Amino acid sequence: MTDDPPPNPALLPSGLRDLLPPEAEIEAASVEAIMSSFAAHGYQRVKPPLLEFEDSLLAGAGGAVAEDTFRLLDPDSHRMLALRSDTTPQVARIATTRLAAAPRPLRLSYAGQCLRTRGSQLAPDRQVAQSGIELVGVDSPAADAEIVLVVADALAAVGLTRFSFDLTLPPLVPAVLAAAGLDEATRRGLARALDRKDAAAVRAHLGADGAALARMLIELLLAAGPADRALAALDAADLPDAARRLARRLQETVAAIHARAPGLKLTVDPIEFRGYLYHTGVCVTVYAPGRQEELGRGGRYLCGESEPATGVTLFPDAVLRAAPRQTPRPRVFVPFDMDPEAAADLRRQGYATVVALEPATAPMAEARRLECAQILTEHGLSTVATE
Amino acid sequence: MTAPFAAAALEPDAGGPPDLGGPVVLALPKGRILAECGPLLARAGVHPAADYADESSRRLRFPTDDPGLDVIRVRPFDVATFVAFGAAPLGICGADVLMEFDYPEIYAPLDLGIGGCRISVAEPVATAGSDDPRRWSRVRVATKYPAIARRHYAARGIQAEVVELNGAMELAPGLGLSRVIVDLVATGSTLKANGLVETEVIAHVTSRLIVNRTALKTRPDVISGWIARFRAALGDAA
Repeated sequence: MTDDPPPNPALLPSGLRDLLPPEAEIEAASVEAIMSSFAAHGYQRVKPPLLEFEDSLLAGAGGAVAEDTFRLLDPDSHRMLALRSDTTPQVARIATTRLAAAPRPLRLSYAGQCLRTRGSQLAPDRQVAQSGIELVGVDSPAADAEIVLVVADALAAVGLTRFSFDLTLPPLVPAVLAAAGLDEATRRGLARALDRKDAAAVRAHLGADGAALARMLIELLLAAGPADRALAALDAADLPDAARRLARRLQETVAAIHARAPGLKLTVDPIEFRGYLYHTGVCVTVYAPGRQEELGRGGRYLCGESEPATGVTLFPDAVLRAAPRQTPRPRVFVPFDMDPEAAADLRRQGYATVVALEPATAPMAEARRLECAQILTEHGLSTVATE
Repeated sequence: MTAPFAAAALEPDAGGPPDLGGPVVLALPKGRILAECGPLLARAGVHPAADYADESSRRLRFPTDDPGLDVIRVRPFDVATFVAFGAAPLGICGADVLMEFDYPEIYAPLDLGIGGCRISVAEPVATAGSDDPRRWSRVRVATKYPAIARRHYAARGIQAEVVELNGAMELAPGLGLSRVIVDLVATGSTLKANGLVETEVIAHVTSRLIVNRTALKTRPDVISGWIARFRAALGDAA
């Protein structure tokens, strides 16, 4: 027998954490601010359950996240259940089933927690909050632009002033590679090289025969950056028809966004397709300067079998880390014998009151001990001196 | 929809926020490749403080004549780690390091054509060719590239039992630690001196300019500016 020390009860499984005061309060308030901004733009809230039958949750668009999904056996139905790792497929299911007859364009929003079996290098969390919107039933540059603009507004609502949208076309690379008639092995190797923007590997996979294609792909991958320059490079590239249609759509989307919000910072990465597993058109990732993690992502996909849809999911945890620090409501210590009505009045003004449960000999010291910045006295509010 | 954006949200890329005001960091690998980097850096117009190439200097971070760029000098494997986590948005490292770590957050947009060598399998002259590797179920490999070794043998249906070493791999087969080694081979003289022979080339390796993925998205002008400067320094049109 070895004597391993007993596990520390504070240790949580990897990728999970406790939110403490005041962060938990700030998080809840920020999610509400985001959701209320979505609601103000006409996006109506839905609330799908945490668990669904595995075969329906992972059907269609959901299949792309199957590997990241926790499953359990339902003692009730004896069927496999899956815990959502992404909310979009659930909202898509609602849109095509229970809300199939609702008028289009259908604007839905949601907020909730998701679980995934593993984190990534940059985002090790396994429990991830999502707040997002879906715009179902319209396939147009105006719709692609709307979700970007609504999300920009929601970010502004939590005080975030600097962020950028990276627009991508995940189906572009597959369209180019399909038109080039490459064999499966080359296509797979090339897709990986393009994902890593590894110019030398792109050239190696295409060899001497594919030198022209390699040159074009490398030009495109080096063009990633400010929208105007990247769009110019796309314009200059010799693209097959399907890819050209996608490129034109991206141009129209950028123009539609610029028309509504001329200063919004947009970058374009024509070759990017990382993590866009079920997407069919213009996609978007939200970044904040100086932050490694993504604040949100989304894009165009097919809802059910055939209905066009687009949406963006924000990750409120990441948004909060990028936003200026919010302050929770100020805490006021209310000594034992104070008038309850005075305390109620403070709560109505937005203060948090911490009411003493018994008389204290030194109320000021008690207020400091309980981390209240202010104390209620006979003469109104008074600041608690720090020691 | 006329969303009332806070004015600052609309600033395109003016100046950059305070937390990005500092210089861009370029991570350089200690050792073999560092000397070869010198001329290339000079052609790209990068002139670090003179002691950057002096391995006995205790400094790790060096200013350059460009106030917008600092260089740091770290172990080759650590170049990839610094860049993957965005601590250094730019770096130079061998393709062997990228193959080993396979960090998805690293882009490798330029082949710098320096530091050429290969990553190979080698074994003692005495055992090489003594049996048919296709009949192996598993093989013990001494290497500092566990991921590359496992992937290489897995693709051939062989489990690699990796013995991880940080140096002097060439000793391992002779002392019974492993059957083969997987290591970088430049000229092959170290192998020869230790009675080993190169039996298989896994990949040819050159050094790459690497870039942090998020940095390219959030500071596109600065980072692609540097890529363009190195590209021009290479005189490479493709």
